Amino acid sequence: MKSTEFLIVSDNMKTQKLVFTFVLALIAFVNVYSQTQQKIDMKIDAIGNSQITVSMTMNAQQWQTWLQTMGNNPAAMKREIERSMPAYFLDDFKLEKKDMERSFVLTLNAYGACEVDKRGNWTIDTDQKNANVTELTDHKFMLVSSPPELGGNVQQTYTIEFPEEAENIKIDKDAYGKSVFKFKMENSSANFNIMRWAGVLLLLVGAAWFVKNVVQK
Amino acid sequence: MKSKLIPIIIASVGLLLLVASFLFKGSASGDLDVDIVKADFIMPAAHRVYANPDALNGKYYLFKAKITNNTDQTLEDVTVRYQIPGYIDWTELTVSGEMFPGQTLVVPCYPKFEDKITEKTTESVEKAQIEISWDGASEDDIVEEEFSFKMTNRNEYVYTGIKKEEISTWSDMFDNDALVACFVTPNDPIVKYYTQNLQEKLMRGEAASVSNKPEDGVRLLASIYEGTRMSHMVYSGTKGIPQSTEDVQSIVQQVRLPREVITGNTGLCIELSCLYASVLSAAGLDPIIYLIPGHAYPGFRMNGQYYAIEATGINGEGLGGIMSAEEAFKRGTEELNDFFKYAQSGDPRYTLVDIHGVNQQGATAMDLKDDQFLRGKVDQVVASWAGGTPIQENNNPQTNSGNNPIVIPDNNVKTSALSFTIPSGWQTYMKPVPEMPILTAQVLAPDQVTTVSVYDIPVSSAQQAMSTIEQYFSNYGMSTQYQINGNAIAGQTYSNNGTFNWVAKALNLNGRVRIVAVGAPDYAYNQKTNEINRIFNSIR
Repeated sequence: MKSTEFLIVSDNMKTQKLVFTFVLALIAFVNVYSQTQQKIDMKIDAIGNSQITVSMTMNAQQWQTWLQTMGNNPAAMKREIERSMPAYFLDDFKLEKKDMERSFVLTLNAYGACEVDKRGNWTIDTDQKNANVTELTDHKFMLVSSPPELGGNVQQTYTIEFPEEAENIKIDKDAYGKSVFKFKMENSSANFNIMRWAGVLLLLVGAAWFVKNVVQK
Repeated sequence: MKSKLIPIIIASVGLLLLVASFLFKGSASGDLDVDIVKADFIMPAAHRVYANPDALNGKYYLFKAKITNNTDQTLEDVTVRYQIPGYIDWTELTVSGEMFPGQTLVVPCYPKFEDKITEKTTESVEKAQIEISWDGASEDDIVEEEFSFKMTNRNEYVYTGIKKEEISTWSDMFDNDALVACFVTPNDPIVKYYTQNLQEKLMRGEAASVSNKPEDGVRLLASIYEGTRMSHMVYSGTKGIPQSTEDVQSIVQQVRLPREVITGNTGLCIELSCLYASVLSAAGLDPIIYLIPGHAYPGFRMNGQYYAIEATGINGEGLGGIMSAEEAFKRGTEELNDFFKYAQSGDPRYTLVDIHGVNQQGATAMDLKDDQFLRGKVDQVVASWAGGTPIQENNNPQTNSGNNPIVIPDNNVKTSALSFTIPSGWQTYMKPVPEMPILTAQVLAPDQVTTVSVYDIPVSSAQQAMSTIEQYFSNYGMSTQYQINGNAIAGQTYSNNGTFNWVAKALNLNGRVRIVAVGAPDYAYNQKTNEINRIFNSIR
């Protein structure tokens, strides 16, 4: 169950399951005897939240089953997803069904998807040993897996997009040998102190005015 | 002079602001948004599940907190800690190095209770306190939250933790099924001692886990049954009452531990199932507990095949017949056939708990200490296998619930008043529960969902009649809420099987009140409304 899950690991090694269980909940009632593909995009913002987009195309039988169990009851689907990710706060669910193509696109937000350790390092863990990660750009990575829980018949392609503010993104290993993304990130809005900058401004204006008056005399 | 004064004042104000910006960083707590989702019940029996973030997908937490930094400052070393006075001292949950303005921190809490929590024999309401602090936070800045939750006793099993407004299916009402595994205690020294005695003294050798032959497994299953039968173990009920918190409403069932079933020589269906599963597991087999509406029975899986036995066939002399091991196994096999028939058709009420499978997911049993007194009790039980008084077997075995159904072939209820029309194909049971003499008859629909009950109560008013029914129900762990409107009554009955919605009519006869009630479980009530109304309207 755990081998292909995305986990978020904090200092005391508590774990929160993110994408993979979420995907499992989506297709839990669908027979996956034939090869199926899922695309999962994670877009991480500058404060560590993640917007997740899952898209999937099914065959006729799978589509019918999915519609009966979840597709036609988005509220039940939302509930299943929330229950499958109990340690998370999720919101902004949006489901777009494309009946003609037998596909759907689901988006949602996961708060606090990334965490910062005591040294200010941001981390997001793949919970996979030797994860098959490909660097697409400086800020975009791809990870492909076939969860054994689904008989290896579902190929999941994850893209993880880091924000522009993220620097020095690297794939490292945690203490247990599992692949983990580590990066540095500064927040542009952080430490902006109105009082301080107003004080500096007034000080400069007052000093300039004073100097000007002295020089004019 | 004036031309110099104004710029000096402006510069002074600027200097003051600059200094103040370093001296007063502002209070951040007012804008630190904290959102907490809490558990309503904590079961000591499942304390290892609560402690493990990976157990059962991490769904058994004490609380999870969503903390959002709505200040304009970056908070450093944000620390979240909690305590449960009397159980867990202040414990740090997480330290986040930096928390940017707008950033959210999600912190789930999986409390690690000490093993002594399993000695808790009374229910209590406890408080959890949470504290959120950061570098440079003053006393006033630190965020403090607290909430209360119910801590059950070690024997209590809460059927669901899902909020009542979220419950929509049968599975939701029994969402904690996997936690049954916490009451299966193969490593309990008393259970091990009992198992060893069973293998040695009763079976004279047992090798099912080694041979991997189904016949050896069935022999072990039958021997456990024989062990309980020969020790005169009896079927008996325990308390199971609905309990509510602010958010959750659930039946809370008292489950005696396998060691208590062995030494107390009595057990309910789920308790006997846990005992069997414990012994089977201790002997190296893969135990399975089958859960069906209102009942549970044990078995095992071997080479991909499932086996079962009706553990409650022991019944007890007070309850009627006692099955032989062969009959109990035959009944178990019949039940298993039904189980798979319903389960494969998608009926969510038919589920099984694969004990070792659930153990692997983190639902493990509590630690129990050895006890010489209990070992002595086991010795007494073992002695009864050799010299116990044989019980006369009854060739008319009864069902698990102790009921004695009498099927009336003509499918009619003979009533002198308040008669009603029974649809064809329905089955009528006269005096179905001997222990409840006020229940004159019950009529069941072929799908066993819609039920008509006829009560005759020797009282003078409908209110008194309902009070009497409530008293009887309480003996079976059931409770009722109702409203009386003239001779019509509408209500709900809560039991281990969930909620049963019903409507009824009452009539005062000479010195007694007759009540005819028709209803269905709440998950099927809407679906059966027409049928229920038709019968209700036919009551005359």
